[in-house]
Amino acid sequence: MSVEFPDGYAAARGDGGFFDRRQTIAPRGYNRFLVPPAALAVHLSIGQAYAFSTFNLPLTKLLGLTHSNPDDWSLAKVGWTFSIAIFVLGASAALFGRWVERVGPRLAMCVAACCFGGGFLVAALGIYTHQISLLYLGYGGLGGCGLGIGYIAPVSTLIKWFPDRPGMATGMAIMGFGGGALIAAPLSLFLMSHFQTPASNGVLEAFIAMGAIYFLFIMIGAIAVRIPPANWQPDGWVAPTQPGRLITTAHVEVDTAWRTPQFWLLWGVLCMNVTAGIGVLGQASPMIQEMFSGRVTPAAAAGFVGLLSLFNMGGRFFWASISDYLGRKNTYFVFFLLGIVLYAAVPTIGRLGSVTLFVAAFAVILSMYGGGFATIPAYLRDMFGTMHVGAIHGRLLTAWAVAGVLGPVLVNYIRQFQIDSGVPKAQAYSVTMYIMCGLLFIGFLCNLLLRAVDERHHYREPAPGRARADARHGTR
Amino acid sequence: MKLRFALLWLVVGIPLAWGVAKTLQNAMKLFQ
Repeated sequence: MSVEFPDGYAAARGDGGFFDRRQTIAPRGYNRFLVPPAALAVHLSIGQAYAFSTFNLPLTKLLGLTHSNPDDWSLAKVGWTFSIAIFVLGASAALFGRWVERVGPRLAMCVAACCFGGGFLVAALGIYTHQISLLYLGYGGLGGCGLGIGYIAPVSTLIKWFPDRPGMATGMAIMGFGGGALIAAPLSLFLMSHFQTPASNGVLEAFIAMGAIYFLFIMIGAIAVRIPPANWQPDGWVAPTQPGRLITTAHVEVDTAWRTPQFWLLWGVLCMNVTAGIGVLGQASPMIQEMFSGRVTPAAAAGFVGLLSLFNMGGRFFWASISDYLGRKNTYFVFFLLGIVLYAAVPTIGRLGSVTLFVAAFAVILSMYGGGFATIPAYLRDMFGTMHVGAIHGRLLTAWAVAGVLGPVLVNYIRQFQIDSGVPKAQAYSVTMYIMCGLLFIGFLCNLLLRAVDERHHYREPAPGRARADARHGTR
Repeated sequence: MKLRFALLWLVVGIPLAWGVAKTLQNAMKLFQ
């Protein structure tokens, strides 16, 4: 067992094992800016999920190779893989959040590496045997668990390392989830073309290669990650004696937190912000082509989608960092009010025929979509303290799972209903945009209603005997 | 520590820069 000094620093590594939480306590003089790249290694890997659609068409041509055979999987069937993965992401983050807090980031990242990398391998077996259930189980189920555990694993560690800039720190990591798609899309295409032979379209081999690559990449993060000693503070930084009204110095346990109105108001804030963005992200390519028919080619529309991904990624770092100065509540007010203005302006921009204004409006909207994801952990830390922030974040991510269904359904079905009712395609999105304004207004109200958590929910030190047991199990 | 710092940031920075460059290349088609 490793020895811990009274100031929280660990002595020379003992026999606690590589995965022991205490083995990851940073030594004296450790540079805290070594932790963000460890977190980025995980998020850049699991962010691959956003680029899964690059496999959609090749997965429908596994037997026909150049075209879909009658026995090939349909696009609708393949499309379920991503939905299952995102659903399992939300569910596993909620289920395993407390465990992640207890065992620490290293073991959690290792498990995420095994699940995500292993998920690719099980999915590859499904491709090899042409059993779609194995694809669902591998990428959707096992991979989805890797997504959920990997997503929350570094968040509370970063918040503890950067008490002075929690928004910037979590923004840096969660930016990686947006950036992961930028890497995975060209990487998937490169691997499929590299492994393509007259007998294979290269998907099977690409899945195996990506499983190995992502396993190793996440493991680099797991090896590098360190947690700060207890009560550590940055040199020269003093916690404000009078923090803002919505910034607590107390802690709230995860099982208490999710029974408070604050948790559900934040759930609404995240769900509305994500619903508004995710529906647009999924329909961005057909939307710009239909609204500017004849002026935007499919290649240019693909460029538009790429640009939105860049703003989605950049917004995560930008807005989360800004929130350290603006305050979390004000930052979300900006998201909702500016979002309402921009969504309401889109139909007019469409009628004006200005592609540049259209692109600019959606670039800002998508930056705020990403910003919403990246700012929420710091908002949770402000409201509930740092003790169980990772676990609370995990439970809040169920809002993402709901939004992941709600957003695309709203955009797709309303568009189709409009077209079926005889509305021209160029104007079929107007109603959708106004509905998005309504959703953002609900989010605005949720944010407006947020107040500090009542003191009766704050964590109180247990009796000495219980405290020792908690310390042994690393629950604090 | 400095070498480790540089290595870690390079490990994550290089793939990210590559992905951003590739995406920007594609995005340019929107303005052509």
